[in-house]
Amino acid sequence: MTATEGFKRHGDHSYVATFAESEKEVLLNLCEQIIELLAERQDHGNDDPLAAMVGITSHDSPPEDEVLHRLLPNAYADQVDASEFRRYTESTLRQKKQAHAISMRIHLKSSDDGTVDLDHDNANAWLGAINDIRLALGVRLKVENNSHEELELLAPDDPLRGVYAVYTWLGWLQETLLSALIDDADEDEETQLGNS
Amino acid sequence: MVKTADKIEEEIRAIFSGDTPWVTIVWDDPVNLQTYVVYVFMELFGYSKARATELMLKVHNEGKAIVSTGSREEMEHDVARLHEYGLWATLQRGDQL
Repeated sequence: MTATEGFKRHGDHSYVATFAESEKEVLLNLCEQIIELLAERQDHGNDDPLAAMVGITSHDSPPEDEVLHRLLPNAYADQVDASEFRRYTESTLRQKKQAHAISMRIHLKSSDDGTVDLDHDNANAWLGAINDIRLALGVRLKVENNSHEELELLAPDDPLRGVYAVYTWLGWLQETLLSALIDDADEDEETQLGNS
Repeated sequence: MVKTADKIEEEIRAIFSGDTPWVTIVWDDPVNLQTYVVYVFMELFGYSKARATELMLKVHNEGKAIVSTGSREEMEHDVARLHEYGLWATLQRGDQL
């Protein structure tokens, strides 16, 4: 079982990667964690059902959990505007983020040999999900305060060392998918210029 | 005094007619990869790779950049989409920068 070489472009708007069983397990586990974390931020049970139906939530303050706070940030510096916006939009944002992670999970689960083949929309969902996982790990690693040099020097028995390894691996994986996507976008742009 | 009153009236009119532009600001973040930020700008706003790269570098070097301008509703839509893709974005009135 060899380690993945990341995403490669296969023809038009098709992005393919093959993961080793262990890599697949790690990715699936991280997807599950993001899905669960977002689910923890459920709306309160006493919500007005009509309000819930149209996506209005009872949350008007940001999550206390640092990771959730980073995934569901304020849209305004002003607290009153931020609360109002959150009440009307947070549940939609949570659903979209969950949908990205669920899409990634489905591709991984339905692949017998570890190969996933993504179209443009699936690729965007994967990018969003990988990014959310990196944001979550970044909060745990305190990337804000710790330089990469410091994180490289974590002791072998430091539990964060493994987290940092996954964090950098996901960054590399995301980069391979991005470079395949941007190659395509460049070609499309050139084609359009050529046609005009 | 008259001039001040005129100015206030003009500002109020601008607010009600929706003339005051709002802006979407993206803030620097140590986690998001540069290539990812460029791609998100291209994908969400239809910017060319050159324009998207220029904006990403502005965010990186100056800590923030205005990435779009329009009505308040449009900027709320842009911020929601940027949040969906994990970028750190806020909106505010353009005259309060």
